[in-house]
Amino acid sequence: METVKTSARENILARIVKANARPRLVPLPVVPLEAIFPPISDPRQRFLDECAGNLTEVFQTSDSAGTAATLAAILSTVPAGDVYVQDAEELRPLAAIILQSRQVLLSSEGAPAERTQASLTLAHGFVAQTGSILTSSACGGRGASIVPPCHIVYGHGEQIVPDIAAALDRVRSAVPGASYVGLITGSSRTADIEKILVQGAHGPRRLVVILEN
Amino acid sequence: MSTASQEFLRRAVVKSADLEHRAIIQRGMASYDAAAAKGRSRFADWEAARTRCAAIKAEGIANLAQHLTEFERRILERGGRVHWAENAEQANNYVVDLARARNVKTVVKSKSMVTEEIHLAGALEKIGVTVWETDLGEFIVQLRNEPPYHIVTPAMHLTRRQIADLFRDKLGENVEDADPGRLVAAARVALRRAFFSAEMGISGANFLVADTGMIALSTNEGNGRLTTSIPRIHVVVAGIEKIIPRMSDLAALWPVLATAGTGQPITTYSTLIRSARVAGEPDGPQELHVVLVDNGRTDLLANPETEEVLKCIRCGACLNICPIFRQVGGHTYGSIYPGPIGSVYTPRTAGLSEWGHLSYACSLCTACKGVCPVKIDLPKQLLLSRRDFIATGNVTPTERAGFAGFRWAVASARRFRLMGWMGRKALAVVNALGLSGTALDPMSVWTKYRSPMKLPKQSFRAWWGENGNG
Repeated sequence: METVKTSARENILARIVKANARPRLVPLPVVPLEAIFPPISDPRQRFLDECAGNLTEVFQTSDSAGTAATLAAILSTVPAGDVYVQDAEELRPLAAIILQSRQVLLSSEGAPAERTQASLTLAHGFVAQTGSILTSSACGGRGASIVPPCHIVYGHGEQIVPDIAAALDRVRSAVPGASYVGLITGSSRTADIEKILVQGAHGPRRLVVILEN
Repeated sequence: MSTASQEFLRRAVVKSADLEHRAIIQRGMASYDAAAAKGRSRFADWEAARTRCAAIKAEGIANLAQHLTEFERRILERGGRVHWAENAEQANNYVVDLARARNVKTVVKSKSMVTEEIHLAGALEKIGVTVWETDLGEFIVQLRNEPPYHIVTPAMHLTRRQIADLFRDKLGENVEDADPGRLVAAARVALRRAFFSAEMGISGANFLVADTGMIALSTNEGNGRLTTSIPRIHVVVAGIEKIIPRMSDLAALWPVLATAGTGQPITTYSTLIRSARVAGEPDGPQELHVVLVDNGRTDLLANPETEEVLKCIRCGACLNICPIFRQVGGHTYGSIYPGPIGSVYTPRTAGLSEWGHLSYACSLCTACKGVCPVKIDLPKQLLLSRRDFIATGNVTPTERAGFAGFRWAVASARRFRLMGWMGRKALAVVNALGLSGTALDPMSVWTKYRSPMKLPKQSFRAWWGENGNG
C-alpha cells in the first residue's frame, strides 16, 4: 500500500477538469447569515436557554470559592471512581478538591481509561446560538469529552460567543494546531429505537458546565 | 423487466399491506415531522438558509478539482495520507491492504453511506477482520444481516420488542421490558469493548473542508467521536462531492443539516479533524488516512443535467417526506440509497437498465423538492431518468403502441371524446360481467387491490359544459 496509485488521482482530476470546463451560470449571490438566523440580543441568556433545551446542566458561580463548592456538589452525584483532569494551570485548584475524595489522572499522564467516572476540562468558548461548548484536543485530548460518563467543563461568562460563525472564527485563532476541534451540544444521545430519545448512547450521559462570572 | 424491478414490485405489495410496518413508519415519520417543523421555526428564513447551502455546495462542485487538491495538500502537510479511488474496488483494496499491513484484527465503523455503497465491511470480513458497526441503528441492522432501512435512522422499521429479542439471541442480553434506555445501555457495553480493542476506526465525512483541510463529522451518539479517538489508525472514506470551500460555510451547513435530518438545532457532536494526534496530545490515532471515492460521481458531474445531484448532503429529508417511501419503506427499493435521492442516484451510478424502474417509484408530487436543504430538483431528475431509461430501449412494444395510440387520441377533441365514451362503455361491460380486477380488466393494476371505480354517467367534458361556467 506504500505505492500509492497516482493514476487514479490523475484520472479522477482529469474527469473533473473536463466536466467543469463547460460554461457555467453566474453563481447566486450569497445570502448573508443575518438573513437566515434571528438576532441574538442577550448571548448569556440565550446560552442558558439553549442548554436547558439540549439537557446540558449549567451551574453559575460568582467566585472561585463558589466554583469549588459547586464542583464538590457535582462530584457527590458521580459514582465512585477516577476523574480525568486536563492538565492546565487554571484547573489545579479544582484538581486538588477532587483529590480529597478520588484518584485524579492528569491529561499529561496519558489517555482516559474506560473506567474513568468523570472528566474536568476547560473550553475555548461557549456558543449562545446552540448552547454548545467549543472544545479541542488541546482541552485534555480527544477522549476527555467522550470516554467518561460525565464531562464537566469549567469556564467563564466572557467566553460566550454569540453564534457558530464566531465560534469558527475562534477555531482559527485559539486552536491553530489541535488535531481535533469540536462543538459539543448536550450529552450523547440516540433516538434510533422507535425515535425515543435516550441520553448517554456512547458518550457522556451528563454534560455539566460550571460558568464562573 | 429487470430482476430488481420485479423484486421492487413484489416487496412493495407486501410492505404496503403490512399493517405493523405501516404503524411503525407512520409513528416514526410523525415524530420526525413534528421535530423538523419545530427545527425550521428556529430560523428567521428557512428558505434563505436552503439557498445559501445550495450555493455553498454548488460552489464546491464547480471548483471541485481545485478544492480537492487544496484539501489534499493540507492533509499531507500534517502527515496524513490521501488515497484516490476511482471505484469501489480501488477504495476497498486500499483499506484492506492497510488493515493487513498494520495487522488489524478488529475495526470499528461509524455510520457512513459511502462505505455501504462500496461494501467495505464485507471486503474486510473476507480477510478475517471483525467489523463492528457502532451507530446504534447500524449495529442493530448489522446483527440482523440487513442493509440500513433509512440513511439517517437505519433501524427505524423495528420495534423495541424486536430489538430486545435480537439482543437476547445475538448478545445474550436479556432486556425483558424492552425499555429503550436499557437496550441502549446493553449495546453500549458491547460496543465499548469493541472500541477499546479495535486497531482501526473507519468513519465517513459529512463535509471535507478545503480551506483548512479538515474532515467534518456530525454524530449524536458519540460513536463517531470514539471511532476517531480510540483506535490507533483512523481511516476516512468520503465521496469526492463532500467538499465545501471554507470552514466558515459550516455556520450555515451544520444547523441546516441537523434541522433537515432530525429537527435538531445542531448535531450533538459537530467534529472537525485535521490530522492524527500531534505532539503533546494525550490520545488520538497515530495515523490518518483519507480515501477519496469517485465511483460514478464524475459521471454525474460530466452531465450538466445531473451534476446538481452531487449537492446532496444525505440528510434523509426527501425520504421522510416521500409518500412512496412512507408506503413501501426503505428495503423495498433494494438499493443502497432509498427514497427520492436513491431513485435518482442509483440508476445514474449503478446502471439505468437494471435500476431505471426506480425513477417511477414516484408520484411526481414534488414534496421532496420542497424540503431538500440544498435545493436539488429531485422530481426533474426523476423525469430525466425516465426519459433516458426509455431512450435506451427500456420500453415494451405494447407500451410503445399504447402511448402512440394515446398521443393520437388526445391530439383531436373529437377522437378524445370518442375514446372516452368507448372507455366508459368497455369498463361498464367489464364491471357488469364481474371481471373487475381480472386480467381482462384494463384497469386491473388499480382494481386488483381495490373495489371497481363507480363509473360516471357522463364525461367530465360533458359535465363541465353543463355546470362548469355556473
